[in-house]
Amino acid sequence: MGSRKRILIVDDEQDVLTYLSTLLQDHGYDTLLAKDGEEALRQVEFNLPDLVTLDISMPEKSGIKFYREMKAIDRWKQIPVIIVTGISEDFKKFISTRHRVPPPEGYLTKPINQEEILGLVKKFTS
Amino acid sequence: MEQPYKHYFEVMPAYLTILDRDLRIIEANRRFRKDFGDYEGRYCYEVNRHRAERCEHCPAERTFRDGQRHGIEEQFKNLSGQEVSLIVYTTPIRNEAGEITAVMKMATDITEIKLLQNQLRESRERYRQLFEEVPCYISIQDRDLWIIEANRRFREDFGDFLGRKCYQLYMHRSEECSPCAVKQTFQDGQVHQTEEVVTSKNGKQVDVLVYTAPIRDAEGQIKSVMEMGTNITQIRQLQSQLTDLGLVISSISHGIKGLLTSLDGGIYLVNSGLEKNNRERVKQGWQMVERNVARIKTMVLDLLYYAKDREPNLEWIPAQSLAEEVFGLMRGKAQELGIDFQCHFEPSAGDLAADAKAIRSLLVNLIENALDACRVDKKKRVHQVRIGLKGYPEYVEFEVSDNGIGMDQETRERAFSLFFSSKVGDGTGLGLFISNKIVQAHGGGIRLESELNKGTRVTVRLPRKGPASRPALPKPL
Repeated sequence: MGSRKRILIVDDEQDVLTYLSTLLQDHGYDTLLAKDGEEALRQVEFNLPDLVTLDISMPEKSGIKFYREMKAIDRWKQIPVIIVTGISEDFKKFISTRHRVPPPEGYLTKPINQEEILGLVKKFTS
Repeated sequence: MEQPYKHYFEVMPAYLTILDRDLRIIEANRRFRKDFGDYEGRYCYEVNRHRAERCEHCPAERTFRDGQRHGIEEQFKNLSGQEVSLIVYTTPIRNEAGEITAVMKMATDITEIKLLQNQLRESRERYRQLFEEVPCYISIQDRDLWIIEANRRFREDFGDFLGRKCYQLYMHRSEECSPCAVKQTFQDGQVHQTEEVVTSKNGKQVDVLVYTAPIRDAEGQIKSVMEMGTNITQIRQLQSQLTDLGLVISSISHGIKGLLTSLDGGIYLVNSGLEKNNRERVKQGWQMVERNVARIKTMVLDLLYYAKDREPNLEWIPAQSLAEEVFGLMRGKAQELGIDFQCHFEPSAGDLAADAKAIRSLLVNLIENALDACRVDKKKRVHQVRIGLKGYPEYVEFEVSDNGIGMDQETRERAFSLFFSSKVGDGTGLGLFISNKIVQAHGGGIRLESELNKGTRVTVRLPRKGPASRPALPKPL
C-alpha cells in the first residue's frame, strides 16, 4: 500500500469538518482542514493536498475566490476539487463567474451521501 | 290668397297660420288643421296651447308692434294632448299701403331633434360620470405630457392637475420618465403597460399598474393619450409577504441542508464510535447531534417569525453594546472597501426593550447600504460612513450616514417599497422594506434624508420601552 492520500476539507462549519475528516480518516486518508478560502490557500501552499473538498458560501474568502486563485497557479491547478455545497444557486453562480478556469472535478450537494463522496475521492486520488 | 300660393301654403311641411291683430287664427294650412283641428274664430293661444289668455312672450304680438320677424322656441299641445316642441317664426303681412294687416306664423316640429339632444346630453353625462367615478386614476395628456383632464379619483389623490405635467404630479420628478408609456403611445398608437410606484399629494406611496391608450380625432390623428392607473398596492403587499416567505424558506432550506450534513456527521461519529468502542468519539458525535437539533429548533422558530407577523421578542438590551457589536461586525468590510468607518456612541444612551436579533440585522442592513453607496460613488476620493447613537428619555436614536452616491427624490420616495432597488443588478429590493418592518414592529420610526451625489442619512428612532401596544417589559433589577 502506497502513502496515504491527503485531502483538504474546506468548510466554515466545524461539524462538517469533523464529519468529513473522521469519515475520510476512517477510509484511509489523511485530512487537512480549513474554515475559509484564505486558510485553504495556506494549506495548499504548505501541505499540498491530493484533493480538495470545497464549500462555496463562506465568510472572508469564498470558495469561488479560492478556486479561481488555486486553479490560476500552475503547480496547483492539477489538484482535483469536489464542490460540496448546500444550494444549487451557489453552483450556478460558480459557473457564471469562472473565466478561463477548468470546471471542478466533482459536485455534490448537502446533505452528502457517504458512498458518493468516498467514490469521488477514491476516483480522483488513485 | 292667390291660387298657386294657396297651394304652397297648404302643402308646406310645417304648421302655417295667419293671425289678425287680436291673435285670432284667420287661416291655417292642412298640416295645422290635421294636428290642431278646428281653428275658426278661435285665438292662437287657445288652439296652440290650450290657454285662455295670451302668452307672455308672444312673437306675433311683437311683429305687429315692430314689423320685424321674430323667432322663439315653444311647446304646443296638439289635438291628442301631446306636447310638441316647435321653433316658431312670425312674419308681417302688409297691405298695399304698407300697413301690417296680419302676421304669418310658421312653426316647425323639432320634437325629434329635441329628443336626440336630450339623449346626447344624457349619454355625455353618463360617460362623464363613468370617467369621474371609475375606481382608478385616469388622466388625459397632450404631446408635451401636460395633463389636460383628470378624473375625481386622480384629483383627490394627486391634487390639482392644471398646469402640471404627468411626471411632476405622479412621480415628483423634474424630468420625464424613461421610457414614457404616454410618449410611446403617441409614437406608435398602441396600448402600453407599465408598473410604477407613485407618490400621492400627502406623500403616500402607491403601486400602480398603468395602461396608456390613444385618443384620436375624426381624421384618425392621435390628439391626446389616456393614462389609466389601477392601484395595486394591496396586491403588492400580499406579494411582498409571499416573497419574504419565499426568501426565508430558500435561506432556511440552505441552512437545513447544512444542518442535516452536520447531523449526519454526528450520527456517523456515534455509530462508528460504537463500532470501534471509542467512547470519546461517541460523546463527540452525540454533542454534534444535540447542537444541531438545537439549531434546527431555532431555525423553525425563525420560520414562524416570517410565516406570520411575529411580535418582536423584547428584552432589555444596552443600546451601546448592541451598536458596538454591529460596528465591530462591519468594520472589516469597511476597511476592505477603504472607507473611513467611524462611530459616535453616547455612553449615556442607556437600555431599550427590543428584539436584539432584529435590531442587529436592521443596523447591519443600513450599514451595508451605506457602504454600498460609497463603493459605487466614483466622484469623491474619500468616503466616510458614520454610525451614531443618542439616548433620549423616551427613545433611543440610531443614525447611519454616508457621503456616498445619495438618492434623488424618486429614489428617496420609493426606497422603502418592496422590490425597489437602486443598486443596478445588485439589490433584492427587500433590505429597506424589511428594515422598515422591523422598526414598525418596535413601534418606532425611520427617517431617510438624502441628496444625490452628496450622501444619505438614515435615522431610526425606537421607543425605549418597546411598542406602546405591548405591556411594558419589567426592567431587570
